[in-house]
Amino acid sequence: MELLAHISPMFVLLVFVGTLIGIIFGAIPGMTATMAVAVCLPLTYSLGLQEGLALLLGLYVGGISGGLVPAILLNIPGTPASIATTFDGHPMNQRGEGEIALKLGIFASLFGGIFSLVALYFFAPALADFAIKFSYVEKFLIIFFALTIMGALCSNMLVGVFSGVLGVLVSLVGAYSTDKGGNGEYRLMFEFMEPYLSSGFSLLPVLIGVFGLSSILIEAEEGVPATASTTGTATARQKKFRLTIFRGQGVNLFRSAFIGTFVGLLPGVGGSAASIMSYSQAKAFSKDPQSYGKGNPAGIIASEASNNGLTGGALIPLLSLGIPGDATTAILIGAFTLQGVQVGPLFISGNTDVWNMIIVAMLLANIFMFAMMYFAIRHIARIVTVPKYILLPIILVMCVVGSYTINYGIMFDVWTLFLFGLFGYLAHRIGLEIAPFIIGFILGPSAEIYFVKSLESFGTLTIFFTKSWIAGVLWLLIALSIAMSVWMAGSAGRAARDPK
Amino acid sequence: MTRFFTELGLAAGLALISTAGAQAQEFPSNVRVVIGSTSTGGDTYQASSFIASALSEKLGINAKVDAVGPTEAFKAIARDPSGSTIMIHHDQSYLGYLYGIKGYEDIFATYKIGPTLAVNPGNAYLVPKNSPYQTIGDVLKAAESGTRVRVAIQPGGVSEIGFSALKNAAKIASPGSEANIVPVNTGSQADKDQLLFDGQADVINGSVQSNEQYTRLAADDQKAMRFVWLTAEGSTIAGGNESGYGETGRDALAQFASPNASVTLDGSSDFTFDKVFFMMFNKDMDPALVAKIDAALKEIYAEGKLAETLKANFFVPAYRPTDEAAAYLQKKNDDYAKVIEAIRQ
Repeated sequence: MELLAHISPMFVLLVFVGTLIGIIFGAIPGMTATMAVAVCLPLTYSLGLQEGLALLLGLYVGGISGGLVPAILLNIPGTPASIATTFDGHPMNQRGEGEIALKLGIFASLFGGIFSLVALYFFAPALADFAIKFSYVEKFLIIFFALTIMGALCSNMLVGVFSGVLGVLVSLVGAYSTDKGGNGEYRLMFEFMEPYLSSGFSLLPVLIGVFGLSSILIEAEEGVPATASTTGTATARQKKFRLTIFRGQGVNLFRSAFIGTFVGLLPGVGGSAASIMSYSQAKAFSKDPQSYGKGNPAGIIASEASNNGLTGGALIPLLSLGIPGDATTAILIGAFTLQGVQVGPLFISGNTDVWNMIIVAMLLANIFMFAMMYFAIRHIARIVTVPKYILLPIILVMCVVGSYTINYGIMFDVWTLFLFGLFGYLAHRIGLEIAPFIIGFILGPSAEIYFVKSLESFGTLTIFFTKSWIAGVLWLLIALSIAMSVWMAGSAGRAARDPK
Repeated sequence: MTRFFTELGLAAGLALISTAGAQAQEFPSNVRVVIGSTSTGGDTYQASSFIASALSEKLGINAKVDAVGPTEAFKAIARDPSGSTIMIHHDQSYLGYLYGIKGYEDIFATYKIGPTLAVNPGNAYLVPKNSPYQTIGDVLKAAESGTRVRVAIQPGGVSEIGFSALKNAAKIASPGSEANIVPVNTGSQADKDQLLFDGQADVINGSVQSNEQYTRLAADDQKAMRFVWLTAEGSTIAGGNESGYGETGRDALAQFASPNASVTLDGSSDFTFDKVFFMMFNKDMDPALVAKIDAALKEIYAEGKLAETLKANFFVPAYRPTDEAAAYLQKKNDDYAKVIEAIRQ
């Protein structure tokens, strides 16, 4: 009952409004939960801490959840953490199961959010103490583990690995930032590019370009009949969503929510890694791994349970150590700063009221997110009935607007969008794999910094094997992941040669 | 609903663009305050938000703080002479240039230096609670005696200037011993803390605001730390809030600052460093607008409400009008250039 003491009509309203705005931000390509929280953060100065956090936590949960909508309907991840949702979500949409895919994602998101909230409430200090056992070495191995998954995501393992490495290379363009302990030197570019690429290519324009714009170019090349919609089938023929679709998915749900929560509590690893790892684990343990990437509901469950699991997970180091777990909580900490509240190892014990209020706000945000999305989704899903000749130009405008606004009005981000849109189109033509490319692009900078810093600290490569028992476990997972990729590539090759 | 959804998306995007366009034309109604930090949890965002809020109220404008980081912030004021974009940052603005970090230019030649606003006297150096080093003097003695001391810093700025001072002091006390003070270059405060937890650094740069709670943990906690040095002058700390920060009082904090904790500058006086926040403008910004900001800030500081807010958050109010600020900061720049030069030789 102590928790309920913090609920006032204004508090509930702010969580509701925050969740709604967050969902809208998440659903618009180029706008993210991080952006939503950043835009609304100054408002919290006048709102006060509790009301301010109610709004921001609603934005956070809504923003992460909303990303599944364009991922499934348009094949454009609304947020980087929903990349893996596109792998099976969009194929389901293409075969007329968009509404089912969306509802699956919403249920999985709710589960992930609640799972991580339970972890946050009951185990935050203990988990934070465990998180600090992950130094540069262990974090590099986690990123490396996520990178090894690239091979399992492609039809051709060699091409997939090449695409992934190319993504890593492109991600390293720009300065070796002093903000990360680098020397500030520019790499992989000519001098005349320095004014534009000092911070490298922005993630969101690259993401929207290779997923969204390239799809439009491919559609344009193939030609769009006047009546064609994105599914090619009428919504009337869409199948109905039934909870039985979760039958046999219990382990997947728990495992994915756990991975999301766990990755969330490791600062600097990120939501994309969480959803990709969960997806690959779901695929690895599946009896039918070949069906992944072709519209397997389990893929959506893995991705969405994981990226919402991140929400509570990322709050653990924030509230137990004063260290943000991800980019959004890094902004969220500003709400405490503006109110002069110290966030650190003694925060929870010294601020019981605020702590309880955060838990209530997170719970409400998850419930509101579920209610809003579940009941609105039927209508949102009808976007697929809009003829492509109307829808695609609108998507194109949204892509441009999203890219332009992501860094508050940098025109180079729009050129980045076009450049990577063209790249995505050419990659499709010549058979490069987009998913591993983008995974490499997202994880490359973290891999570099953790690798280099590990070597700077310990001066020897053997440290990656000898640092701790955690490193040993991670190497085991890496070895299993590589073995699984090779096995799946082999069986896919055999299936192709002997189709029966 | 479909139309609603798409229109909503377009409207949100177009609204953002039109807002940005409006900002470019309607100063002083809308002012974008870019700051040289990407963190919203740090002292730059905090101080800038307090000041932007006070300016909004005084001038009847809408001033919004954007945490874009130094490179993007410099670019933003360089391309906007209208006054609708102003920058707030601290000493890193010129230290980055002195350390030769790319993206930094000579701010005194490239931009118009605005008024100084506040000092954060919390720039600190910490050791694990069970460290053999009880004081910053012990750290220097260890280096003199040949022990390698690893100091976690973020290169090229406020974090590094204290490290440079330590090397300088070691060199003065025992030439050659400065080689025993080695940097562990890293990024955020979280990274520096982690290096201490992990035993990969002996000393870390931190701040009173970020690390005070860690100093209250029990000694057997892996996360427990101790302050050994605050770079601010003792007199600066004396101008701060009497209750200090968190549960550490002002007098207790002053024990870690000069003259109680000494890092020599030249063998006779102590090195000190006050982290000063100040404004910067486009070089061609209308002087009348600068004067307007100066006048508004003068009134704001005289009223005392902003000063109270700053003090409550362990800042020391330090308003200097534009003309005085440029000379003051130029002198700081020249003084620290000598320290950096000394350890390069």
